[in-house]
Amino acid sequence: MDFLGEGLRRAVALLLSGDVEVYGIALLTLKIGLIATVFACGLGIPVGFVLATRPFWGRRAALTVVNTALAFPTVVVGLLLYGLLSRRGPLGGVEWLYTWQAIAVGDVVLAFPIAAALAAAAVQGVDPRIRRTAETLGAGRWLTAWTVAREARFALAAVITTAFGHVVAEIGSAMTVGGNIRGQTRTLTTAVALYTSQGDFGLALALGLILLLLALLVNVALQALQGRGHA
Amino acid sequence: MLELVGVRHRYDGRVVLDIERFAVPPGAGVAIVGPNGSGKSTLLRLLALLERPTQGEVRLDGVAVAGAAARRRITLVEQRPVLLRGTIRENLEFGLQVRGIRRTEVNRRVENVAARLGITALLRRRRHELSDGEVQRVAVARALAVEPDVLLLDEPASSADRAAAQTLYRALAEERARRPLAVCLASHQLEDAYRWADDVRALAEGRLSPVTPENLFRVELPATGSGGDLKHVCVGTIEIAATTDKTGPAILAVAPTDIFVSREPLASSARNVFTGRVTRLTHQRPGTVQVTADVGVELVAVVTEEAARDLGLTPGGPVVFSFKASAVRVF
Repeated sequence: MDFLGEGLRRAVALLLSGDVEVYGIALLTLKIGLIATVFACGLGIPVGFVLATRPFWGRRAALTVVNTALAFPTVVVGLLLYGLLSRRGPLGGVEWLYTWQAIAVGDVVLAFPIAAALAAAAVQGVDPRIRRTAETLGAGRWLTAWTVAREARFALAAVITTAFGHVVAEIGSAMTVGGNIRGQTRTLTTAVALYTSQGDFGLALALGLILLLLALLVNVALQALQGRGHA
Repeated sequence: MLELVGVRHRYDGRVVLDIERFAVPPGAGVAIVGPNGSGKSTLLRLLALLERPTQGEVRLDGVAVAGAAARRRITLVEQRPVLLRGTIRENLEFGLQVRGIRRTEVNRRVENVAARLGITALLRRRRHELSDGEVQRVAVARALAVEPDVLLLDEPASSADRAAAQTLYRALAEERARRPLAVCLASHQLEDAYRWADDVRALAEGRLSPVTPENLFRVELPATGSGGDLKHVCVGTIEIAATTDKTGPAILAVAPTDIFVSREPLASSARNVFTGRVTRLTHQRPGTVQVTADVGVELVAVVTEEAARDLGLTPGGPVVFSFKASAVRVF
């Protein structure tokens, strides 16, 4: 118990002292998390809309693929991305391997099916009469989609929260394509893994607490946004 | 003119509508009657261009149409309409803003249509603050605000009480008097259908057929009855007794199965006893005979084959039709 207590005391001390390394890792994680969430949701939510509302050949198969992709092992995604980005790989020319951009790309790949599948479920949960009402009142495709999205706003906010949570919490891909380089590609999860293995439990715990705090802040921010809406 | 042509519509391979041709002419009032599940709502959704028929086409002024541009001329009010997020005013404004109408005109139309439907007091409220009947009136107001060429109504009075239904029908009548608005109404009640009946069609198992206007009479109901609500109404050369508190223009209906057929007048409580001659005997369904008789007006009754045989009914032979005043439906 002393061990845990000591770790917690060190974690609080590190957080309160404004340790540059700790906050640098947190800021990098936040940057990658936000960028990856924006891209994953920016692509995934419209795809979810299409899957939920447009009848097309192979729609059911596409839904199955997206739902299956939810369970992609993060380390496998990292491995595939490593193959693509490594110098001998087809995308080696961009020289993104062991950069934060590579981590962000991996996170987008992981969060995209989450955004698409959950957005499809959210839109399918909206009363179909809402779409028909917007259409019969003369709305075009985009305004109809916007009207449906307004009805599904709570569920869509949960999609964004889930995507962000997944992105900041994953380690397999970040470790494989980021390399956990100090000051460059060390994120909260890779750092926690490293410091735990090195026996610096207090530092690992401090970083873990920041990770929880980040997730909490994003949730609170989204809930505050939702709270501003009315029925 | 809004038309369905050669439409066969399927859900999961099952044909739910099979219509060679169905038209809603400009300014017309067309009613579709049929039991729940007969395909009325599907038919209206096809007409509203909200679904594409599996086979066949929807035509507007002779041209096959689909998509948002054509949809702006047709508006559907569903059986259980929903209101969009926002205030009732925002709901009424929705279709007008979609059409890029100027703010001053939007305000004018919203105020005007809200007054006609008696929902001005609701404009600042939100959907969860309204009753089902109020939602239905708001939905009709929202549809009328965009001034469509064709208004499609699915069971428009299903959630409204009698007073609310009257307000709704009055507003529709005013709108039709003001401009050429075609109304196509689906209902399981003949009463609703005949309120708008330029053309009444029956829909059963996805197929349309004309409604045979048996024993239906347009009449002028007197203000006062002879005793209570019992009124004697002149129909052709006969007088039909009916129990109703309504006055003015109305339609009387007597179901053919509610008429007793005999050779001699019966001593009974029936207020309506008419003697005449059989003009036609037809076998429509196995085991039953439709007896058409001239009793001053033409009336149709349905009896079993056995009863027709026992009574010795023959074309030209004497017959007596009897029915109770309470069997006369008034709408």
